[in-house]
Amino acid sequence: MTTGGVEARLGYVPQSELRSGVGYWVASLASMMRFDYGRVRQWVPMMIVIQTLMGAGMALLYGFFYPHVTAVRALYITTGAPTLALIPVGFVMLPGTVADQKLEGTFDYIWSLPSPRSAQAASTFMLFTLFALPGSVLALLVAAWRYNVHLTPSPLLAAAVLVCALMAITVGYGMALAIASPIVTNVVTNALVFVVLLFSPIVYPASQLPAWFASVHYVLPFYNMAVVIRAGLTSGIVAHVATSFVVLAAWTGAGAGATAWVVGRRR
Amino acid sequence: MTESPAAILVPRGTVERGPKHWLHAYVVMVRWHLASLRLWLVMLTIVQLLAGVGFVLGISLFFAHIPTTAALFVSTGVPVINLLTVGMMLGPQLVANQRSDGSYEYLRSMPVSRSVAAMAWYTVCLLGGVPAMVVALVVAQLRYDLPLQVSPMIVPAVLLTAFAGTMLGYALGHAIGNPMATRMITQLLVFVVFGFAPVLYPLSQMPRWLGAVNWWLPFRHMAVVTRAALTPGTHAAVGSAYVVLCVWAVVCAALAGRALGRRP
Repeated sequence: MTTGGVEARLGYVPQSELRSGVGYWVASLASMMRFDYGRVRQWVPMMIVIQTLMGAGMALLYGFFYPHVTAVRALYITTGAPTLALIPVGFVMLPGTVADQKLEGTFDYIWSLPSPRSAQAASTFMLFTLFALPGSVLALLVAAWRYNVHLTPSPLLAAAVLVCALMAITVGYGMALAIASPIVTNVVTNALVFVVLLFSPIVYPASQLPAWFASVHYVLPFYNMAVVIRAGLTSGIVAHVATSFVVLAAWTGAGAGATAWVVGRRR
Repeated sequence: MTESPAAILVPRGTVERGPKHWLHAYVVMVRWHLASLRLWLVMLTIVQLLAGVGFVLGISLFFAHIPTTAALFVSTGVPVINLLTVGMMLGPQLVANQRSDGSYEYLRSMPVSRSVAAMAWYTVCLLGGVPAMVVALVVAQLRYDLPLQVSPMIVPAVLLTAFAGTMLGYALGHAIGNPMATRMITQLLVFVVFGFAPVLYPLSQMPRWLGAVNWWLPFRHMAVVTRAALTPGTHAAVGSAYVVLCVWAVVCAALAGRALGRRP
């Protein structure tokens, strides 16, 4: 018993080469999801409650700004509500979490773990998508109840919500990774939400915007999120749904590209 | 040379008092706040200007043609939000950050009275709010051509609105021990002020019960006193609004004072 004495005493063999392969990636994803969930577990109920209140709250408060909520306004507010609930998760909560992780040092720790970084990113995506969904569903239900709007949901809705959630989270994550300073991230996300919630044609028709401003929104993701979700909830109101899906896909690609670029770089 | 070396090192046993010392400490504390916030204040002023002007301009996008009443309500409500931003929204978070990074205990160890600390912070909050408020009002006037009429009552209205907001923030920051809870409550308050209090829109546009709930909260009354000082004509309920605001300010100041007076 002379050979392998060190290993025998240590009780394990240190892995000297990188592990890879689909099986390892899936196993990493599973353990990263457990890790991520374990980190946020105590906050999950509160996050879901806040997220739900915010979504439902926004659906209600837009109505307060109008002297008379006409049928068209009610329809726009109701069908814009799920979009309003999705945006803060992707563009504020996720970048905020990453910023906190950077400040605490957890971010570097996670990167040092021997799991593929793409699995780490995928785990974050899935977790935040799960957080985002209850709030947007409830926002829709509350708005439909408050404004007494009749909706005709179609199977398109599921695709639309998933694409929107994925887009918001991918872009938010890409942004959080691409901006090095957590403080800058904080300022950018807060400014962004303010601009989005006030200046985006989500709960009102794009025709109310000046023409140049409307054309800016055709390229930005927020208006297009509202379009695809509205298309899934109503029939015959929105046009150019396919274009909106293409724009959203392009933004998702850009967010994923930014994530991949930062994640793949050595520091 | 009757003093022994030990006597020289003994710190003064009495606390300095009197108006002169108070004033001196006040000036020093204002300078302290301005210096420690210098980067933040610049950024904050820019954010405040953008947010105030943004809200005034952005609200017109909600309507195909914005009614004058809606424009008037938003334009006279945005000043209230500007006045609350530093004292009520930023202040508690700053204290929460100080608690997290340990500078809170250091600040409390300084030889200034609680009233000095509070007044100095109130001054800084006014400095952070009033310029943005003026700019937002000017922009609103240019954009919507509103029937604004500034009366001398704007001075007490602004001073009291900012004071009540700052004291509310002060109480939140100092009386609540957990930084996380402070942040959450602050964000909830921001949400309430923007959407669930009749600050930016008339009371008649919210459900009656919500208006009744708001009577017990300070924000509705802040909007009433500020709006009354900015628009012509007589206004009902201004007197009671001043009373409610005073009660809020005194209660919050007492809560904060009690929290600060306790030795940790």
